[in-house]
Amino acid sequence: MDQIAPAPTQSRKRDDPAKIRLVGAGKTFQVRGTELEALKPVDLGVGGEEFVALVGPSGCGKSTILNLVAGLLAPSAGQVLYDGEPVTGPNRRVGYLTQKDTLLPWRSTADNIRISLELKCRATPRAEATDRVAQMMELVGLRGFEHHYPAELSGGMRKRAALARTLIYEPETLLMDEPFGALDAQLKLLMLDQLQRLTRHRRMTVLFVTHDLGEAITLADRIVVVSARPGRIRAVHEVRLPRPRDVFTIRFSEDFARQHERLWDELKDDIIKGTDV
Amino acid sequence: MSTPSQQAQSGARDSVVGWQVALGVALLIGWEIAGRAGAARWVSEPSKIAVKLWIWLGGPLYVHLAATVTELVTGFAIGASLGALAGMMLGRSPVAAAVLRPVIVGLYSVPRVALAPLFIKFFGLGYLPKIVLVGIVTFFLLFFNTFSGAQRIDEDLVHSMEIMGAGRWEIFRKLVAPGCAVWIAGGIKTALPYALVATVTGELLATRAGLGLLLSQAAEQFDMTSIYAVLLLLMVIGLLLSEAANRIEQRVLRWRQAAE
Repeated sequence: MDQIAPAPTQSRKRDDPAKIRLVGAGKTFQVRGTELEALKPVDLGVGGEEFVALVGPSGCGKSTILNLVAGLLAPSAGQVLYDGEPVTGPNRRVGYLTQKDTLLPWRSTADNIRISLELKCRATPRAEATDRVAQMMELVGLRGFEHHYPAELSGGMRKRAALARTLIYEPETLLMDEPFGALDAQLKLLMLDQLQRLTRHRRMTVLFVTHDLGEAITLADRIVVVSARPGRIRAVHEVRLPRPRDVFTIRFSEDFARQHERLWDELKDDIIKGTDV
Repeated sequence: MSTPSQQAQSGARDSVVGWQVALGVALLIGWEIAGRAGAARWVSEPSKIAVKLWIWLGGPLYVHLAATVTELVTGFAIGASLGALAGMMLGRSPVAAAVLRPVIVGLYSVPRVALAPLFIKFFGLGYLPKIVLVGIVTFFLLFFNTFSGAQRIDEDLVHSMEIMGAGRWEIFRKLVAPGCAVWIAGGIKTALPYALVATVTGELLATRAGLGLLLSQAAEQFDMTSIYAVLLLLMVIGLLLSEAANRIEQRVLRWRQAAE
């Protein structure tokens, strides 16, 4: 069982130059004249094709990290690099699945999923786009809902539609903010399975925010534990479970249980500490 | 092949229509009786109005109808498109909106109808002064409505489109314009009655043709029958316009009904 030893070990893609790198990147918001530090300066590198999960108590700045990488926020300290270049403005190399689904209410589900293929930057012939939309709808289990408007879908279905809309254009990097929070347990497993399959197959780099430790252990190569506000990186865990992982059974393995326990200890401390401050 | 509930529904609809027809006939008969009993000096009589309309149909009505409808439709189309466009553009550029705010509020504070004499001086007695007046009335209503709509576009949607790689024009076409559709449709519905008011007001002041001219001529001659005939025609135009606006709104906003 030294497989899960905390000692530093060879990560899957250690040789690659970092795809995403935060160098002393911090974020302070001005709220009614007072400064609110959302994220203390952090250093974090995510290698190409690596799957990194960010876990931590709510409001700890996990989403801020994603927004920095997506270029929707500018760091108030330090630098955010993507492929070695500073991120300035919306980062078009990533796909970003925000916590809130950003489907367009006047477009049917299929048309929402199709939208990226209509853009000039990746103009796709109509027939091919239709094929790919059908494939994605199948993949996220929304077949039969092509002509439904978002308002006619349940919260979980909208989440899946948003996921399909992000995956369809196969961004090289995927930023995900609690994408499966609204799903029931059974469906969540199915989606985790699909996500693992797809990101491995398309060799995507993934930065994934979740509050579900099980989800993080199931999917991630590394788990970054972020402490309560102001956020800072408290610990980084390598998840040394072999790939491909069987998302349906892995949670019953002893390795998984140990990882879980270790992570929970980290988080529990932090929550207690957070309340003292 | 309708279900019992559909039959019941269409039955209820039939009886509503039946009552409406009965009410209309009763009103007309009452009006006719009142007229013949001596009130014709004030209310004319439906039968005389019908005859008047029939005579007009064979004669000069088309010129006047064409004038009024052309002024209304042209002015409305120009004012509504410019208003919606300006609303979307300023709604999405806060700096420009802040700079232009005093100008817009200042212009808006002048009662639009009070501009009619000015336009008649500028543009004469043809269609143009009325088109400009209707256009300005419509422009402001559409502008303010669309402006609020554009400001309320969810920034998160804009960001998601940007990250997807959409350019400024693509965001405008695929997000801002459809996002404002509800507001534009609302603006159109509000503006249509005002546009009709503006057309007739312009024509009442000075014109060569139009229902407003018929109305002012009839009033000068104390010709109650003609006055009521024109008012009836204006009512029909108003009803047709609001029905058209409803249809357009329903088509544009199918996704909204889906949400309910």
